[in-house]
Amino acid sequence: MTSGYVLPTPLDLSPLEDALKGIYGLRVQAAARRTWTALETFDGRIAEAGLELVHEDGRLVLSEADGREVASAPHGRLPGRLLLADLPEGPLREALREVIDVRALTPVARVSDRDRLLRVLDDQEKTVVRLHAEEPEVEGVGALSPRLRVESVRGYDKAAARVGAVLQEVLELVPVERSLWDEAVVLGGGAPARGLPGVGIDLRPGVRADRAAARICRRLLDVVELNLPGTLNDVDPEFLHDFRVAVRRTRALQRELRGVFPPEELEHWRAEFKWLQAVTGPSRDLDVYVLEFDDFRAALPQARRADLAPLHDLLVRRRAAALRRMRRALRSARTTQALRGWAEVLRALEDGTACGPDGHVPVGDLASVRISKVYRQMVKAGREIHDGTPADALHDLRKKGKELRYLLEFFASLYPKDVVKPMVSTLKALQDTLGRFQDREVQADLVGSLADDIVGMDDGTTALMAMGLLVERLHTQQEEARSEFAERFGRFAAKDQRAIVEETFR
Amino acid sequence: MTRVLATYNIKGGVGKTSAAVNLAYLAAQDGARTLLWDLDPQGASTYLFRIKPRVKGGGGKLVRGKTDAANRIKGTDHERLDLLPADFSYRHMDLALDAAKHSTSRLARVLAPLRPDYDYIVLDCPPSISLVSESVFEAADALLVPLIPATLSSRTFAQLKDVVGEQAQILAFYSMVDARKRLHREVMEELSARYPEILTTAIPAAADVERMGVRRTIVEEVAPRGRAARAYRDLWSEVRARLGDPPAP
Repeated sequence: MTSGYVLPTPLDLSPLEDALKGIYGLRVQAAARRTWTALETFDGRIAEAGLELVHEDGRLVLSEADGREVASAPHGRLPGRLLLADLPEGPLREALREVIDVRALTPVARVSDRDRLLRVLDDQEKTVVRLHAEEPEVEGVGALSPRLRVESVRGYDKAAARVGAVLQEVLELVPVERSLWDEAVVLGGGAPARGLPGVGIDLRPGVRADRAAARICRRLLDVVELNLPGTLNDVDPEFLHDFRVAVRRTRALQRELRGVFPPEELEHWRAEFKWLQAVTGPSRDLDVYVLEFDDFRAALPQARRADLAPLHDLLVRRRAAALRRMRRALRSARTTQALRGWAEVLRALEDGTACGPDGHVPVGDLASVRISKVYRQMVKAGREIHDGTPADALHDLRKKGKELRYLLEFFASLYPKDVVKPMVSTLKALQDTLGRFQDREVQADLVGSLADDIVGMDDGTTALMAMGLLVERLHTQQEEARSEFAERFGRFAAKDQRAIVEETFR
Repeated sequence: MTRVLATYNIKGGVGKTSAAVNLAYLAAQDGARTLLWDLDPQGASTYLFRIKPRVKGGGGKLVRGKTDAANRIKGTDHERLDLLPADFSYRHMDLALDAAKHSTSRLARVLAPLRPDYDYIVLDCPPSISLVSESVFEAADALLVPLIPATLSSRTFAQLKDVVGEQAQILAFYSMVDARKRLHREVMEELSARYPEILTTAIPAAADVERMGVRRTIVEEVAPRGRAARAYRDLWSEVRARLGDPPAP
């Protein structure tokens, strides 16, 4: 286990040596300079998992926050970002798979660290504790105060405790608040999206609806702005995804709470956010196809899987083209003006210089009306869906479902947790089914639409046959989703559920 | 995937412990998380790492699964290299195994929960043919067998192949070789002709290896540029290649 203490500046180790003398032997090694780089995802997944990842001396090393190494792998010069697929196959990649998923690792801080190792020895001259007197410096930030890192040796916990007691009680050293890695990541500006609060803000039912809406929208706009650079730089697909979710949530709020916004302006901003959604759509769709390509492949018999290679190449090319078009749109003046202008609208709402007709209504009243209304609309629409109902009816229901989900998330703080939570989870189950139903259809359509492009390519014919099989599988999966619908919807629209909604969102 | 390697020979004093200690160290140097289990009640590996030869609860409880092996592991002075120490009670391990159910799979069961924490587990075995060695054959993916090129080594090797059968891969190598002795050279030539699977690296009978005992450390710290250190490095590369493991970075 590793723990650390702040050391006084300037660094003087003689009190430490004196304090330990008589209990243990001590061997002080010559100081060595370590230079390492801390890596983290944009949303801080490494730290969230209680891990630390560094690149040092041509190796990537993942350890527990307590210092114990989890896995490592050789890796040459660090690029600007590392995706899971960029890591060599092996234990490190596997250890990170669940942690980072599709997120990119980026170097966030470079640390140069003068490290003097003091080995604490027992009567056999065996090392039982390692003490590192460190003088770290974060590149571009400056020197940090020196610290003493205590690295215990497995199986010698007693010695570690005893040394710890000397450090705290005799030398009166103060433990550091966080590890050097953590501190370096923070100082390096890493993980700006770590621990971002959710969209549900703490509201009281009596707050004016326009103020509440402005605060929620402001938070969503922060998410949009935070994710824009990573979207433009194509760092990883989550940037665009988070960007789009925040845009969609904003649109849901613009629609559901339309009465709180200044009516003469709202249509313009709705059009702008609709446009933002539209210009990012093709890129996101192609991201998903590329991400899910392994699933496509897995849906085919082993012998046919390699035949899909031309389809993969085509999707990758299409994705690159879509990315170029999206970048042009997002770098345009229209995007800048949309985000800046919307921010001004929100400011005016908050300080009361602009207002819609429902602006003064208590948010609790408005939220309840909207939630119960959308719920009732869904129940009505869902009841009309049968085996032969056209797909569009299911798609529309899914859209309504998203709207309801967002409302429940925005206004969760106004209602009892034990109502909102189960309601969100039955809704989520229904949405998963509807989502799969729609995605499979869209995917099958896309694969079908690419047939013309594939035919002319080398290996086009075998690819086409594999694609035929794939479309068939996708349709089967779509039908499976449809067959789940009745059960999922049944739970969502059950009598007791309806009663709870009636009772809570009066 | 964890590899379990065991240094083994029916005879003692053939360079078994030296191989176990130095190869385990080299594995850890390559970045692999490595555990060395000193199964020999004499505790020579344990001694070399300056660790007290004592396992709380003794070997009997350990093989019966009554002691959590993970709690008995000690960190060595080298990064990524841990040791499960020897204990004098290991001399009765045969009896303990005999009394236990599924006696020959006991060691593998002790190792199972440790596997996720290590890339290599090296077993340093006592010289014998017994239930302990039977268990080792069952637990190990490969046996590292030091052979002294003497007149009887051919017979020893043949016996060993008989005993081990298909249970584990046998990686035999020449040990304590004195290249000045004509007998050594002749025996090696003859044996390698008959058994081409014997590794090509030979560990010399070097003073550096003997000094390990005096300095209580691995040969890389006694004389990193010496012939013995070089030979162990070559041996480790050859072992990795034979196991089909990727070459060290």
